[in-house]
Amino acid sequence: MTRKMQVLASVLALFMLLTTLSACSSKNSNSGNGNSGNGNGGSTGSEANGNAGKSEAKDTITALLPPVSGNYQNNFAQMEKDFNALYPNLTLKIEPASWEDMTQKLDTQVNAGSPPDIAFIGSDGISKYVQQGMLMDIKDTATPEMVSDYDPAPLEYMKNGDGLYGFPAYMEVHAIGGNKEYLEAAGIDWKNVQKNGWTFEEFREAIKKGVVKEGDTTKRYGFVFATSGVTAKDYLNILIKNAGMPASFNKDLKYAYTSKNYLEVLKAVRLMIDDGSMPKELSSVDAGKRWNMFLTGQTMITGKGLATFENSANKNNEKLKANDGSAVQGSIPVEYIVLPVPTFLGQEPVSSTVVDGYVTFRGKKEPTAEHKANVVKAAYFLASGQVAATTNNDLFAAHISKSGREAAESMTIDRNPDNVAAVETLLSHANPARPDIPVELGAKAIKMEDEVIIPKLQALLADEISPEEMYEAVKAAAIKNFGEDGIVND
Amino acid sequence: MAQLAKAPIAKPVKRRRWKGDGGWAYAFIAVALIVYAMFTAYPVISAFIISFQEYRPLGSVFIGFDNYTSTFRDSLFWKSIKNTIVYTVLTVPVSLLLSFAVAIMILPLKKGLQTTFKAVYYLPAVASGVALSVVWLWIFDPMTSGILNQFLALFDISNQNWLGSSASAMFSLVLMAWLSSHGTSIIIYLAALLGIDGSYYEAAELDGASFFQKLWYIVIPCLKPTTLFLLVTGVIGSFQVFQNAYLMTGGGPDNATTMVGLLIFNNAFKYFEFGEAAAQSLILTVIIAGISLIQFKFLGNDVEY
Amino acid sequence: MALYSTHTGNKPVKYIRNTTITVVLLLFALATLFPIYFMIISSFGDPVEAGALSYSLWPSKISFDSYKFFFDYSEHSYRWLLNSLIVASCVTVSNVIFATLAGYAFSKIRFKGREILFFILLCAMMIPYQVTQVPLYILIVNVFQIENTYSALILPGLVTVFNIFLAKQFMTSIPTEILECAKVEGCNQLQIFLKVIVPLSKTVMAVMAILTFMESWNTFFWPFLVTNTMDMQTIQVGLKNFRFANTTYFAPMLAGATISALPMFILFFSLQKYFLEGVTVGAVKG
Repeated sequence: MTRKMQVLASVLALFMLLTTLSACSSKNSNSGNGNSGNGNGGSTGSEANGNAGKSEAKDTITALLPPVSGNYQNNFAQMEKDFNALYPNLTLKIEPASWEDMTQKLDTQVNAGSPPDIAFIGSDGISKYVQQGMLMDIKDTATPEMVSDYDPAPLEYMKNGDGLYGFPAYMEVHAIGGNKEYLEAAGIDWKNVQKNGWTFEEFREAIKKGVVKEGDTTKRYGFVFATSGVTAKDYLNILIKNAGMPASFNKDLKYAYTSKNYLEVLKAVRLMIDDGSMPKELSSVDAGKRWNMFLTGQTMITGKGLATFENSANKNNEKLKANDGSAVQGSIPVEYIVLPVPTFLGQEPVSSTVVDGYVTFRGKKEPTAEHKANVVKAAYFLASGQVAATTNNDLFAAHISKSGREAAESMTIDRNPDNVAAVETLLSHANPARPDIPVELGAKAIKMEDEVIIPKLQALLADEISPEEMYEAVKAAAIKNFGEDGIVND
Repeated sequence: MAQLAKAPIAKPVKRRRWKGDGGWAYAFIAVALIVYAMFTAYPVISAFIISFQEYRPLGSVFIGFDNYTSTFRDSLFWKSIKNTIVYTVLTVPVSLLLSFAVAIMILPLKKGLQTTFKAVYYLPAVASGVALSVVWLWIFDPMTSGILNQFLALFDISNQNWLGSSASAMFSLVLMAWLSSHGTSIIIYLAALLGIDGSYYEAAELDGASFFQKLWYIVIPCLKPTTLFLLVTGVIGSFQVFQNAYLMTGGGPDNATTMVGLLIFNNAFKYFEFGEAAAQSLILTVIIAGISLIQFKFLGNDVEY
Repeated sequence: MALYSTHTGNKPVKYIRNTTITVVLLLFALATLFPIYFMIISSFGDPVEAGALSYSLWPSKISFDSYKFFFDYSEHSYRWLLNSLIVASCVTVSNVIFATLAGYAFSKIRFKGREILFFILLCAMMIPYQVTQVPLYILIVNVFQIENTYSALILPGLVTVFNIFLAKQFMTSIPTEILECAKVEGCNQLQIFLKVIVPLSKTVMAVMAILTFMESWNTFFWPFLVTNTMDMQTIQVGLKNFRFANTTYFAPMLAGATISALPMFILFFSLQKYFLEGVTVGAVKG
């Protein structure tokens, strides 16, 4: 009796498990989502279509896209429809994802060997995926018309070694931004700075003048940059580019951050805080905080600054005018002025640029030539013409393709012409892409940045170590990673 | 039922071995085991294999113990283990004590008030993490406008750079853990408290025991299994925590708040050193398992009544 | 009779004691409630971006725009709530049934390999999810091919070790004698479980239900990973969509968070009587 009941109970338990399983899957089929088609993940789609082998065979291209601009994700349905109208045999399937989480999702999919066909990522991520062997080289598949549509500088960013791994969407300059009224009050000829740049010495004096004190408390700082947590690296990177170190490796592939110029920049970082031009609590000012400080008149210059900030400032000004309590509390009307980063030690100005774009991935199986061509069509569709023009206008970002410029001609946006010109100037000395840096070296440099440079920089900002100590720590780690011969010694 | 319950309870009876119930036991745990084997054991075994490889999605290379040896030689790994242990020692016991105290204090109140407090303490557990992190950034705002700094200003202490200096960064994270929600532990403790048989108190009261004597001789021993549960799961959770450090300090300054969880996360995703991440995880697991065994030993699992 | 003396005939003492306790509890509650309070008042603000967020203890204005914005933002807002409800309910029910069963077996039935098996289960909790996530993803997506389905969302959470452990720890306090008596009277283990254990374990089952539901409802990463269309996302994944390029629509996100917290309150209040009554051995004894 007992025995029978035991067996019965086991069977029952198994049965319950199975019903749960099947109940779940039946729910799925009822839900009517797109899983029934061939759009089940990038690689699956490509395999299924590879077998079809006809020239106009149906194919699905999957794309993992973050909210690139405020309205971007709202246009997904339209984009899918337009693409299908252009290529009736092809279906573009867009997966939305938020910025913060998208890398982790993509990385999981890449590690599992089934990434989407296209993902929108920063060009600095390309080397990481090349190392994994999961990117699809489209050099031979992209038509000459497609390639020649792009400005050469941003397109370079989509390359690694010999390969081309996608199309760029925009090239944005990371600069700094000032409050027009305060700049003028401090006697700074900002129009001249926009055109001709400034040296660190000039900048240091300027931000000193921007400080407003009331007794011992600082009411307004000259310069505030977001450096809390991982954003600290943006701050340092923006500065060292203008000190003769545009990339972590020099032309001879020697690690650059052991140069004596590096030490000078570190000293400058400390100087600006010790002058009282930057807050001593800088090490925990985050992106939200410094923007709030900018809008509420607590700082004259802020960083990092993107072109789109002009838009945010304008919006807040309108809310102030409407006076309905929706503007940032305590904020004042501000006119956002794009400013270049100062140069160090007589070095050439090099703007910190960020190129993001549509990168093409492959699955575990070698993709067929046909699927490859289809993916290229989709990537080009997203990165050119109407789609690119709309997105870049949303972002106040410059257009980088001929077709994008053409499509943008009919669209109007309200921007300060001085700022537009300033961004053009900044773009003219954009940081060149470095597809020649081998992936292993690049990966080591990134790891060193995270494990040594950022933590030490945070300590430097908090006044816990001296610039010399940080420099020595970086040098020691560099020698450990790249050897005595692998670093710059000047 | 009534008959069953009339059985003698308080008197300790020698434990008898039940024979022939093994089959039942296996039937009862069957589903749990199947789910476990599929969705937990399989990934764990995969991770174990990966820890001996240089992982590549298109074909991994077997590299023996390289991932382990490089981890053992990595000073940052040990520093992060140290940070994690410090964090765990400072947060888990305090959290247990607080939840226990709150649970005990809720008990004598009137029914309505009890419900209110249970809800109030449970509430924060449902708050979204995003809301929480925003509030905490405000609390730890380094400028004079920060909540904590405003509080210090009352005592004429100048504003502190809470998350920005290595002296206070770890403390700030610990403070955050202390003041964050203990809802889960409180509810579990409450449930356990209500499960203590009333007859124990009756007997103790006949002997004229005071409140603290009852607490010490009845409540604490009876709650041992619950405490063990909360301690073991608390330590496990604490060893894996990295979200707060990641969001609030990024591990800095000078790696003062780099937790081992953050290191593993970075290795797995940022650098694609999946093999090394797996090796570090397994080392971490051995460490936690050791700590858990000690806890089981000292808090003895077999409390018999 | 209870832990606290009833102070019969000494009302003032009892009154003072309870008032003191209430005050202490209130103070501590204020500290822990603050984020929730902030979440709710901010959700009544305008749908502005995060940089524009004003930190204040009192809302400068009350508007329901953010709630409207949340539901207008995506046609899937309701669907997200429904998905979360389906997933969390399935996971909760299955955990309560199977974890209680397994907890009973591990605590009260002697069988070969009990201790070692349990410790192996426990070890699984100790492995950081970062490394098991990729193999699990491969299993669900590449092997089972159930990406973007409810199965993918539910299956990995059917029974958690946490809940088995919880059930086991609670059941160790159930007197073994009761079970032996039941056995003597001819009950088999299933009957013991249903007639003795379940009535005695209502408290822990209620606790488990609440905690599991909350956990499942709040889970973000796994649903995010295995869904790839808006209509299969859960509320937590959907909420994250309010974070845009360099800004966050803060108030609507908090409005969403407030909405998403509601079902947990409902569940809490519908189950809380089980904590209050405290179904114990004593209660059964009557």
